[in-house]
Amino acid sequence: MPGRQSRRSVLATIAALPLTGALSACGGGGGDTRSGGTSSTGRTVSSRTGRKTRITFWSALRGSQEVVDAFNRGHDTIQVDFQQIPGGAQGGYAKLSNAARAGNAPDIATLEYPQVPGFAIDGVCRDITDLVGDGLRAKLLPQALGLTTFEKRVFSVPLDVEPMVLHYRTDLFERYGLTVPRTWDDFEDAARTVRDKSDDRRMALFPTDGDNHVAAYAWQAGAQWFDTAGGAWNVSLADAPTRRVAAYWQRLTDEDLVFMNAVESRHSDVQIGNGLVLSRFSGAWDAGAQMKARPGQKGQWAIAPSPQWDPADPGVGTHGGSTFAVTRDCADPEAAMEFIEWQISHPDALRARLSSGASSQYPAAPDLVDVGRKAFDRSYYGGQDIYTLFEQEAHKIRPGWVWGPRMTATGRIMKDGLARASGGQGSILGAIRAAQEGTMPDLKALGLSTTQRST
Amino acid sequence: MTSATPVSVPTDAPARPSPKSPAAAAPAPTARRSARRRELGACGVLMTPFFVLLTTVFLIPVGTAVYLSFFSDDQPGLGFGPERTVFAGLRNYTAVLADPTFLGGLGTVALYCLIYIPLMVVGALALALLLDSGVVRLRGTVQLALFLPHAVPGIIAALIWLYLYTPGISPVIDLLGRADITVDFLGVHMVLPSIVNIALWSNLGYNMVVFYAALQAVPREVIEASVVDGAGPVRTALQVKAPLVRSSIVMVAMFTLIFALQLFTEPMLLSQSTPMISSRFSPSMYIYDAAFTRNNYGLAAASSVILLLCTIALSYGVTRWTNRADAAEEGAR
Repeated sequence: MPGRQSRRSVLATIAALPLTGALSACGGGGGDTRSGGTSSTGRTVSSRTGRKTRITFWSALRGSQEVVDAFNRGHDTIQVDFQQIPGGAQGGYAKLSNAARAGNAPDIATLEYPQVPGFAIDGVCRDITDLVGDGLRAKLLPQALGLTTFEKRVFSVPLDVEPMVLHYRTDLFERYGLTVPRTWDDFEDAARTVRDKSDDRRMALFPTDGDNHVAAYAWQAGAQWFDTAGGAWNVSLADAPTRRVAAYWQRLTDEDLVFMNAVESRHSDVQIGNGLVLSRFSGAWDAGAQMKARPGQKGQWAIAPSPQWDPADPGVGTHGGSTFAVTRDCADPEAAMEFIEWQISHPDALRARLSSGASSQYPAAPDLVDVGRKAFDRSYYGGQDIYTLFEQEAHKIRPGWVWGPRMTATGRIMKDGLARASGGQGSILGAIRAAQEGTMPDLKALGLSTTQRST
Repeated sequence: MTSATPVSVPTDAPARPSPKSPAAAAPAPTARRSARRRELGACGVLMTPFFVLLTTVFLIPVGTAVYLSFFSDDQPGLGFGPERTVFAGLRNYTAVLADPTFLGGLGTVALYCLIYIPLMVVGALALALLLDSGVVRLRGTVQLALFLPHAVPGIIAALIWLYLYTPGISPVIDLLGRADITVDFLGVHMVLPSIVNIALWSNLGYNMVVFYAALQAVPREVIEASVVDGAGPVRTALQVKAPLVRSSIVMVAMFTLIFALQLFTEPMLLSQSTPMISSRFSPSMYIYDAAFTRNNYGLAAASSVILLLCTIALSYGVTRWTNRADAAEEGAR
């Protein structure tokens, strides 16, 4: 292994030679210009001050460039080179794991919660337990940090935590005489009303590519898909709460109370854009995405807490949310952690991100909620104070949820099954069971200790 | 592919007598020895490139895959500990063989072979017999038109067909729609036939040319004899010509089988636009998914080895079976 590493670094050096030449030539020519974020000017700066650390940062998150610019303006000794990469499903994660295998991963990578254990197992994430001080720990919502901690070791730092909420069309709710549903039974009744009163409108969409939706619904109901007790991955995707959720949505789809198609599709865009769908379930972040994607629907949407199974014991699952991991290849983990800590807990960072107008992230550091409340432009949601709502919902997130070691693959099998179920082959529960069956061989081949329960 | 029938693919004919005849003609033993040495030298020079390529692009990758399938960088327990390389034994193999998605992929490919291979062989042979019988005019043009799709790279072919299959942009679906026929080429039941159709379109012409070349080698006197005996054109084609190109049929069937087992390009591309093709649709897609989305190289290596063994076993089975059938036929004569 060390032999391979050194050969690789030699190759990398050879490959980098012409590049270095070009850069230094460039730096020599334009050595006086300090502005701009290119590496050539950075090189000049570093030779002048002697010790300037450069951190490379990859992310697909909206508003990241604004955040990095704000950080670089305020810092002299650390400068961040940002690279916008495609979203995980569009190849961002493949890019990251390939780069890590080739030994040129960025210093900081952005991972969504479900991907953290996988990248930690593959050795892409560095164990940063010692770098996460008590101060930083105290700043974070414990449920969020719990999702990135395995065997008491921290592998990634949460940026935002996204309780699943109900986005709904106020105008259409009014037209059909609906009130905001407090329980899932209320929701079903409302869905029935919509179906009976309208031919082409439906209450909501059950997404066939929504493995993360299914997870959030199950999480809310008290499911525990993965659990690491006893030093083994215990897998039980089809546990009792999940079966309850699956049966519920199966009934809604069977009775044509909700649409059933992909949410990441033109079809779904049309359903939302033309006002065919009355509500959406998604994380808090989606408020900003909606604002950016459909400015014309300004004032028509509001946000409410997700319906509950039992209002006496409220719970919420999360949908989306990202974390920052320091990679194993990072040369200066302390500097990387400084940028991460600033990014997740400094008010300027959140302000910069919200200034992009496409984000409504709910910060994993509760101290920042006030900043978000003030910085978020409320006009789209008719002045609704959505951050206060997010705050209430974030505290209802059920603790103890654990994502599995290969969530992308698990989710894909589920999606395949859900898509077939929408075509009349199989069921929602069948898709969930298939996801478990298709995940076990993967975990076993990785050499992990596993147990599974099929009930 | 060794055939006992006197008529075979034309390239076989001149190759047979050549190696022995000059040696047999040489009178003195010393001259014979030097000739033999020269011959071996020539053999070496001519075959080295083959063995170099065989080693670098086949034996070494296969060896690596076998190694990867047996050894693994493990972290015990939950997997967050330090890595150590261990002998994993048959762990990866049992995992693959217990994976319903891999077995499902094998099932899909088996079904694909059952539909595709007979259609391909019968279709290509029928076209070749038609061309050979002289019924078709503009033979050259027809041949070119049929062969042309083979010159289109597989990925382009899949793109073209994807366009024709996608509702909303496909002129074909549009036309069918006007005739009140709704077909979802990318739906649950049509996906496999749609892929078969792409493969047929790409390869039919090529295999037809193989058959046509074989038919050219059928001695004219045999056909004349059959005509004199009163056989019509259909009977001549089916009972005289087709049996005489048996060895080509076996060869085409075997190559088609080997390519079919590695089904990848078409479903990979179509999977971009239909959820009915899963990311583990065929064994090759399973291997790709295991290596590049699941980062599970041991699993990918083990499934590759299993696919290789299946391919070898099936090809061997086909050759053995046809040889035995040939021998039985010979015996009956």
